Amino acid sequence: MAKRTTRAAVAVAAAALLLTACSNGGSDSGGSAGDEPTTGGTIHMLQNADFSYLDPARGFDGGVNAFYRLIYRGLTMQAAGDAEDPNAIVPDMAESLGTASEDGLTWTYTLKDGLAFDNGDPITSAEVAFGISRAWDPEIGIGSPWLKNTIEAPADYLGPYQSGEHPGIETPDEHTIVFHLTEPFPEFDNVLAQPNAVAFPVGTGAGDEFINDVIASGPYTVETYTPGSLIRLERNDHWDADTDDVRKAYPDAWEFEIGLDGATIDERLMAGQGADANAISGRIQPATLARIQAPDLADRVETADAYCTTYMGMNTTKAPFDQVEVRQAINYAIDRASLQTASGGNQLADPATTITPPAVSGHKDFDLYPSDDYTGDPEKARELLASVGLEDGFSFTLDIRSQPIMQAQAESIQQALAGIDVDVELNVIDTSTYYETIGTPSQQSDAAITGWCPDWASSASTMVPPLVDGRLITDKGNSNLAQINDEGINARIDEIKAMTDLEAANVEWGEFDEEVMALAPMAPLLWEKGVFLPGGNIANYIPNTSMTDLTIIGLKDPSVG
Amino acid sequence: MIRFLVNRLLGMAVVLFLVCVFTYVIFFVLSPDPAVQICGKNCTPEAIDRIRANLGLDQPFWSQFWTFLTGLFAGRTYGTGANLIDCAAPCLGYSFQSSQPVTEMILQRLPVSATVAIGAAVLWLLAGVSAGLVSAVREGRFTDRFITGLTLTGMSIPNYVLGLSLQFLLVVTLGWLPFPHAVAFGDDPVQWFANFLMPWIVLSIGAAAVYTRLTRANVIETLQENYVRTARAKGLRPGLVWRRHALRPALTPIVTIFGMDFAGLLGGALITETVFGLNGVGKLAADSITKNDQPVIMGVTLLAAFLVVVGNMIVDLLYTTIDPRVRVGSAT
Amino acid sequence: MTFTPTELEAEGAAGGEAIGEPASSSPPASGRRLVRTFLRDRVAVACSAYILIVILMAVFAPLLVKLSGYGPLEFDQSAVDSNLGGLPLGWGGGIGADHWFGVEPGNGRDIFARIVYGARVSMTIALLATALTSVLGVVFGLVAGYFGGRIDMVVSRVMEFLMAFPALIFMIAVLSALPAENRQALLVVVISFFGWPYLARIVRGQTMSLKQREFVESAKASGASSAQIIFKEILPNLSSTIIVMTTLAVPGYVGTEAGLSFLGVGVVPPTPSWGQMIASSVPWYAVDPAYFLFPGAFLFLLVLSFTVLGDRIKKIAESGEARS
Repeated sequence: MAKRTTRAAVAVAAAALLLTACSNGGSDSGGSAGDEPTTGGTIHMLQNADFSYLDPARGFDGGVNAFYRLIYRGLTMQAAGDAEDPNAIVPDMAESLGTASEDGLTWTYTLKDGLAFDNGDPITSAEVAFGISRAWDPEIGIGSPWLKNTIEAPADYLGPYQSGEHPGIETPDEHTIVFHLTEPFPEFDNVLAQPNAVAFPVGTGAGDEFINDVIASGPYTVETYTPGSLIRLERNDHWDADTDDVRKAYPDAWEFEIGLDGATIDERLMAGQGADANAISGRIQPATLARIQAPDLADRVETADAYCTTYMGMNTTKAPFDQVEVRQAINYAIDRASLQTASGGNQLADPATTITPPAVSGHKDFDLYPSDDYTGDPEKARELLASVGLEDGFSFTLDIRSQPIMQAQAESIQQALAGIDVDVELNVIDTSTYYETIGTPSQQSDAAITGWCPDWASSASTMVPPLVDGRLITDKGNSNLAQINDEGINARIDEIKAMTDLEAANVEWGEFDEEVMALAPMAPLLWEKGVFLPGGNIANYIPNTSMTDLTIIGLKDPSVG
Repeated sequence: MIRFLVNRLLGMAVVLFLVCVFTYVIFFVLSPDPAVQICGKNCTPEAIDRIRANLGLDQPFWSQFWTFLTGLFAGRTYGTGANLIDCAAPCLGYSFQSSQPVTEMILQRLPVSATVAIGAAVLWLLAGVSAGLVSAVREGRFTDRFITGLTLTGMSIPNYVLGLSLQFLLVVTLGWLPFPHAVAFGDDPVQWFANFLMPWIVLSIGAAAVYTRLTRANVIETLQENYVRTARAKGLRPGLVWRRHALRPALTPIVTIFGMDFAGLLGGALITETVFGLNGVGKLAADSITKNDQPVIMGVTLLAAFLVVVGNMIVDLLYTTIDPRVRVGSAT
Repeated sequence: MTFTPTELEAEGAAGGEAIGEPASSSPPASGRRLVRTFLRDRVAVACSAYILIVILMAVFAPLLVKLSGYGPLEFDQSAVDSNLGGLPLGWGGGIGADHWFGVEPGNGRDIFARIVYGARVSMTIALLATALTSVLGVVFGLVAGYFGGRIDMVVSRVMEFLMAFPALIFMIAVLSALPAENRQALLVVVISFFGWPYLARIVRGQTMSLKQREFVESAKASGASSAQIIFKEILPNLSSTIIVMTTLAVPGYVGTEAGLSFLGVGVVPPTPSWGQMIASSVPWYAVDPAYFLFPGAFLFLLVLSFTVLGDRIKKIAESGEARS
């Protein structure tokens, strides 16, 4: 989802955070902190990049989504990080998940009692409707696109500040809120868990106004905000824990220290002096891995699975990638083991063979282009190339971002493909214009390395389809890098999306992943995981590479630091 | 004197104006379209046009330059309506990547840079002048040759190599110093000193070496002057000869070159702050390069040019005050 | 602080005039004697030897790499430990018979090969920049000094303007805004653009005093053209100054190129450059010091050798002139 942030540079910063932040830990990380969290104290978050936006209608990436959870509340939300299924969607301000009408076009929610903003004003259905309608403002609504994609609105509706109340959202009484959809969308509960579906006092939040005065609905509110260096959160006294089943809000305050170097952050966490015992941060640097093997540090280490897939999209409109054999050959030839070491080794990355990462519901385990230890199978690749008369190889241009890890990955691909006489020319594109360039079909080259994360992890519906749906190819902001437009694929997407049994749908998404990979419009490269080093006094820290749940973390001993 | 001052001020204004034009033209011509950068991935041609109009990027060059110049003195605004962004004077531009006026970003980071720069300047003046004096007194002997060798080393070692070496030695291997991060003096003076010591050394080493050589050359030359010999011959105490006759003329050129070097420190701070991860203006510039945040790079460039030009002028003024022989015309 | 302006300025202020004045009052010192003095200076010979080694390394890079067995872009997975984030296996960053200077963490590229190829970049850029700077500096200095008047004024103003610029920051700004193609040529141009005034200023000063000397006057009287006088009469008299100034400038340019690459606006990867190698070693300094020590030492010694050499040549030139 970082891929969708409107400002490319932010997306980059966000991607860093997101990679730092990601995964439900799955197996061994849950509760390994031992001591129980207690109320009180201040938790410090050390980070390199500033949050993209404090306005949830604008920001849309893993790092800031985790931050929004502390401040804003919506009707539904992703379950707590320590829940049995952390990908699940659970009610937040709503009494329960939504009730869909027979035709699936109308969804109704009921608000809980006792909800209030940090200024004491009650939160009613009007505030929820207002907050959600902000997503239609052309300047502000640049965050998650899902509200706009699903809720019915006239084409000329430009948000509450310009066009008034949203005609597709009804508020029959203070507690009830009704949404009218353009077409049935069985996963609509997920849409309302998006960061921009939160309550705002009617009439507020235009332009940059609220940066100075954030009106919070969650357990914390912004005390000070110095862009690029510090955000301090204090408790929102009007938040009532009884109305909230997910957020624990143990610490009294949060401090986000921004603009620190990755190396500096790791040094501080390792030293753990003073208040740094109460600090957390994103993914550690590869170079730090060797130093946290010391027993006292190793005890503190937490790991997290990948939620995003790093892949190389192959432009099927350009020869020779228009031939499926060539794309399959590339999939065979790539040395995923060398890609892994170039990206920080087996602690920080796994070789990827499917589009959907294992941590995302709907993942099916398969490897259509197997090789020993993922080092690539040049023999098989040569055979495939020979079958279409390319035994002498060919050359193509690969778009990459000017960023060390991605360059290392590109150089690895260059090396591996040289082995089958395929010559890769690297086109290094400036970080700030990278996504813009590769998302413009007229400007993209033969192939590009990029990453993709699902907008919600409870199904693969936002993982695979956006990358291969031929009807989504646009002149700008295109995600279907392969530009594949296959009738079979398109029909399957519609078929699975219409399924109301979400579990059955997830099984189908796994099958679909494999069907797509048979056509090889892309080469999945890596699942970049996370290794984290929380401070010694941090409890219940369950990092996640897509969004770490900050609302359940606490200090073991609030008097430390 | 007043005419001289007015002349210099006018000259300074002209140079600053030219620097502005030069910098602005280069960024105007070479930068990627800021509208495209702001618009990002989900961009449509209409969105780009809207942003361009909002930022005045559809205006002709001279009109944009004029807006920029007036922004420097009177402040300006970006955008329209509900999304109006105010950029108070002196507005060096607005970073759309971090949603902050450039001036504000620079001011936020200036204290750290100033700490690093002033500390380094004190260090190189003290070290440079005293080593130069020792070297001059012991001219030709072992101490002199040793110091000369050191200065050549100091001039040659790239400051990032020195920074990493010191960090490896003093922080990782010996554990004598903490991994540097900016600690406020008021919070803990000892920690403050320990944290800034390495950056000071690294930033000052090159200049300290140059100043040692300068001091040594000047002092040796002055000691050979007739009036010093006369003073000695008259039987004045050596200390008095040194203070009154040798040191003052020998150190005058140092004072003058110091102004320029200090003003030009931002360049060195760029690397030093990057190596030690200190959040100063130099690091801001380095980070902006990685992110290709052009308004910030341009803002820092202008600030650096401003410092150098002002530094030059102060040097000129000082020079005329210290050494009355230099007058109006010959100052250039 | 290996950046040209400050140092050259200091040198110019301290030593420039000192070399300038004697030159104008005496014929050029005998070349052979200077060479003999130079050869007797052991430090100077050592420095020259090191510079020669680096030059040979640069020239024969492909050959040396064949000997060592690994190319500068070749990955070696077997040399790094995937469990520890790609840390090189073995002592000193993987030093051994296979990899003489060890390998890069992560991808296992051979550091020896990258040092050798990096020498090409460093030397090419520094020498080309020196050549271009010298040509610009000498031409503008001669023209301004010889013709004087309005030409002198224009050239002097431009020089002042360029010297008033924060050169390093501006180089970074310009390079970061420029497209990445032909980076090496761009580096040469940008470095020279800000470098020439330091030489030109001194050449100008000496030309001004030389043109009033009798031999120039007599050449003028015998009907020689301006070009003839400049190139036949004045230029030969400036040779020792130019040699000293350019030798003093080279280390600055080596350092500047490395510094710019260190900051990510220099040579574009995967082309190896010493500055860039040091930059990528920063996160690893604590666990793999060899990664920065090798390029750091090569770079430092190269800058040091040029600096010392320049210093010696200056002294020899001064003493030679003083004695003759």
